[in-house]
Formats: sequence, C-alpha cells, structure tokens
Amino acid sequence: MKIFWSFARQTFQFIAAYRFDFFMEFVLAVVRMYGIYWVWRILYTQRPGAFGVTLEQMTTYGVMGMALEMFIWSRPQWYMANQIKSGAIDTDLMKPLDFHLYMLARSVGEMFIGVGVLGLPALLIAYIFLGVQFPPNVAAGLLFVLSLILGFLLLFHLNFLLGSLAVVAMDIRHISWAYFSVVRFLGGQIVPLWLFPPFVAAIAEVLPFKGTYYIPISIYIGRLTGMDAIRALGFQIVWLVVLVLLSRLLWSAAHRRLVVQGG
Amino acid sequence: MDGLALYFRLVRLAVQARMQYRADFLAGVIGVIVMNAVTVSLISIMVSRFRNLNGWTMWEMVFLYCLWLLGHSLYSFFFWHIRALEEYLVEGTFDQFLMRPASPFILFLGREVQYLGVADLTFATLGLSLAYRNLHLQWSGTQWLFFGLAIIAGTLIETSLALMFACISFWTGRSRRASQLLMRLNVMVQYYPVDIFGYLFRVIVTGLIPVAFMNYYPTLMLLGKLDPQSPWRWLGYISPLVALTLVIITSVIWHLALRRYSSSGG
Repeated sequence: MKIFWSFARQTFQFIAAYRFDFFMEFVLAVVRMYGIYWVWRILYTQRPGAFGVTLEQMTTYGVMGMALEMFIWSRPQWYMANQIKSGAIDTDLMKPLDFHLYMLARSVGEMFIGVGVLGLPALLIAYIFLGVQFPPNVAAGLLFVLSLILGFLLLFHLNFLLGSLAVVAMDIRHISWAYFSVVRFLGGQIVPLWLFPPFVAAIAEVLPFKGTYYIPISIYIGRLTGMDAIRALGFQIVWLVVLVLLSRLLWSAAHRRLVVQGG
Repeated sequence: MDGLALYFRLVRLAVQARMQYRADFLAGVIGVIVMNAVTVSLISIMVSRFRNLNGWTMWEMVFLYCLWLLGHSLYSFFFWHIRALEEYLVEGTFDQFLMRPASPFILFLGREVQYLGVADLTFATLGLSLAYRNLHLQWSGTQWLFFGLAIIAGTLIETSLALMFACISFWTGRSRRASQLLMRLNVMVQYYPVDIFGYLFRVIVTGLIPVAFMNYYPTLMLLGKLDPQSPWRWLGYISPLVALTLVIITSVIWHLALRRYSSSGG
C-alpha cells in the first residue's frame, strides 16, 4: 500500500509539473475527435450505403481512433534514442533489471498517467457530446479490453524495435515521421481497413499494424463478432510473440554493439 | 534593402551548414514524402469511396491540401526555427542577435534553414499540377497572379502566427507547447474543407486564428466554388490583406517583446 501511495504521489507531482502540456494535449485530442466526427457524418449523409456499417458505428469508430491513441501510446523509442545519444544508457544497463522489461515497465506507467489524465476525460467528452456508443454487449466489451491490451503491447514492441535502431542510426527523428504515418495508415486509426482499396487492404491485413487500432475498435463497434473477433485476437497474439522475439534478438545484437563501443 | 541582402547571405550560410549532413537530409526527405503520401492517400480513399465530401471532389481536396502545403513549405524552409525561440531565450543565446550591428529580427530569421521544406515543396508542386490537369482548369492571368499572392499570403500567415505564439516566451519563458498546438490545429484544418465543420470552428479558424485563409478561402476563389448568393463571398479574395494585417500585428508584438527582453536583461 505504501508503494502504491508513493507512486500515486509521484504521478500527481509529475502532472502538476507539466499541467500546461497535459492541458494542450487534451485540447488537441478533443479537436481531433471533433474533426473526424464531422468528416464521417458528412460522408455518411452523402452515401449512406457505402460504409457497410451504420452512421453511429462509423462515427464511433472515428472518435475512438483518436481517443484510443492515449490508451495505447508508449514512447520507449525517444527515451532509448536520448539515452543512447548521450551515453547515459550505461546506467540503464547496470540496473538489476532486464532492459526490455524496464522499458515495458516505464511505458506501462506512462500509459496509466496518459489514460487517467487524458484518455478517460477524452472518452467522457466523446460519450457526452459526440454520441459515441457503448459496445453492443458485455462479451464484446470484454473482448475489446483484451484486444486493447494486446494493441498496447503490439505498439510498444514496434516502438521498441524503432528505438533499437537508434544504436545504428543515432538520430531516429526523421525515420519516425514516416513510421508514425505508416502506423496510423495501416493501423486503421483514421480510415478502417474495410474501406481501403483491395490492393492496399490485402497488404494491411497481414501486417501487425492493424492490431493496434483496427482490431480493438472493430470489436468495440460490433463489426468483428464471434469467431471473427476470436480469430482477430489470435492474430494479435501471434504477431505479439513474433515481435517479442524480434525485440529480444535485435536488442541483444544492439547491446553487444553498444558494449563494444563503450570499450 | 540592406536588411534583405544580409538576410539572404545568412540563409546561404545556413544552407551550407546544413548540407554537411547528407544522410540526415536523405532520411528527412524520405520521411516527409512518406508523411505527405499517407495524408493524400487517406484523403483520396475517403473521398473516392464517397465521390465527394460536402461537394468537394478528390482532386479539389488534393488542390486544397497542396495549396496549403506550398505556403507551408516556404514557411518551413525559411522560418521553421521560429518555434525554437524559447530555447534561444532560455539558454541566453538570443543575446547574440542583440549584440551585432544589424536588426535582431533579420539575424534571428536568418539563423537557420530547415531544408526539409524542399520535400514539401516538391510534393505540393506535383500535387497541384496533377490537380490542375485533372480539374481541367484554365486560369486567366489575374487568377495566376492571385494564385501567386495566395501562396505568399499562406507563408506570411503561418510565419506571423508562429512568431506571435513564439513571442509568448518573452513573457512566460515557455511557448513550445502553445506553438505545437497552433501547428497541429493548423495541420488538421488543412486536410478537410472548413465548411464541413460546425459554426464555432469556422469562426475560430476564420477570425481568431485565421489559418483558413492559407488555403480554404483562396481555393474557393481559384476553383470557382464561391457561392454567388453568399454575403461572405468576399472572404475568398482577402487572404493577402489578412496576411498583411497579421504581419503588422506581429511586428508590433515583436517590438514590445524586444523592449521587454532588453529591460529584463539589463
């Protein structure tokens, strides 16, 4: 209990120190949710049949895409890039904790702060003002939560892999611009995969990115149900295993390189 | 004119300094092009599936986005470092601009260039040419002139707003987050025609933070989409005026800010 309170106090202090940042992030999130809500609404009134889902499902998809960013976002790559650049990574490697797990723990902590301060208030706004629906039933809601956790882990490992690149690339800022765009696009954060042209959809279907936004939100709005939803969770788990193995492999290679550099 | 000559000389030096990092340049160009390509793909997937968005066809939306991007590319090439004003102030490096026998404004603006603007420029030119052809446009000389003015107005509007927000740090010491808010609000507005949003939003981006004048209103005029019935149709023509007004307001703020900086520093 004592640890819990000290953690809570730390969190509070962290937020108090950066309250303007958090406020700005929150305003931006609301603006983005508002924007996508109107885009789908207007497209829907023009061709109601073209979505394959109802208007409420479509706007819910769009708004959730923006809201969930704060539930699954993690930033190990910036920390790793900074530590590697400054050489401070030494102190991290000396800690009696596996580096990969250490990054995961940090990201989970950040995620909780983000969800508490930004994610939940943003969702509240979405429910009250933007007509976001609840999942069609309890089962869908539970599957959604499971899928969301898997989505967080998937994105964490993708980011971790990007961060490992910093060992060879030194500056990952420019690569990450392209990377973020690709995650948003192939992950279906803004436009769901079922609206993609067949050729692009075929590519997006097999890559791990759709496990970040597309699968959780599709389950949430009731587009993926029953066996399809279970299969989608299986897809997330398979890719997660692959990415965990890749991360371990790449980081141990990067680690060796770092040690050699350090002399 | 001495100031202008000095400015371009500084820019040339900044470009030379930047070109030392070739690999970084290449990675950056690829990053920017992928980013823009994704944006345009998203727009075209949405719009082609539904034929149009509130009366805007796909190529009209590409035109809208690329007109913004063209003005933005000039801004980002020459003036990107305005957002870093905060760091100059916090680290005390701003003093270098005050100690030299030239306008601190020119010295600050010429301090750096962000070469990635080149990638934006290329992408925007390509997108606009394709849109021009696919929309079967036949502009008159006046329209071409207006097009040129609109691009310059776009650059000036974004630059003035960025500088205005950056000047906040003269008073508070911090402005980066406010600048980021401006940039991201701005970027979001440029994907979609402003007319799909609610009334409040339109008022904000027209009157309060007038980013809609960078592309939305000039596009209405250039693509012949102005509603002849609307009492607001004149908004399509006044981007250059808006830009001029913003430049004047910003220069007043800059001078107030400088006076404040000198007095607190002394």
